[in-house]
Amino acid sequence: CSRLHNRPTISPTLLLSNMYQRPDMITPGVDPQGQPLDPSKIQAHFEDFYEDIFEELDKFGEMESLNVCDNLADHMIGNVYVLFKEEDQAAAALKALQGRFYSGRPIIADFSPVTDFREATCR
Amino acid sequence: RTRSKRKRVSGFDIRPPASAMLAPTTAVAAAAAAQVPSVPATFNI
Repeated sequence: CSRLHNRPTISPTLLLSNMYQRPDMITPGVDPQGQPLDPSKIQAHFEDFYEDIFEELDKFGEMESLNVCDNLADHMIGNVYVLFKEEDQAAAALKALQGRFYSGRPIIADFSPVTDFREATCR
Repeated sequence: RTRSKRKRVSGFDIRPPASAMLAPTTAVAAAAAAQVPSVPATFNI
């Protein structure tokens, strides 16, 4: 993959780059202070994140899919893909997200060409 | 899932701590305040 991904000017899908950060992102199973993390705490953290995203984006229209990459590898780390039913809903959400922050980090939002996540691999 | 209906604050609109931001001196603070932090429109994955 060249990583030179196509960024459409309009799409029903939004990509929020690197938005989810696992609490054990530095060392798996361990928090940044070096304390072991209970897997249920990591799960609850993920669910809280998912809920935040869902509640914020639900204002703009019905979502058909909300995928959060909960990974530790470099590729697509923490990416969030939101597929709305309609392009104009995604456009409104994109406009509303730009320039904002989530949990102390800027939100980096753009349209994504992906509409079928089962087929979403680089070729 | 079954979770208590605890009141949790959303992570949205939580800005970086002041210590993580560039600390402007008072002389340039007014100018800096007038600027909107921008996100590059051509961000690459």
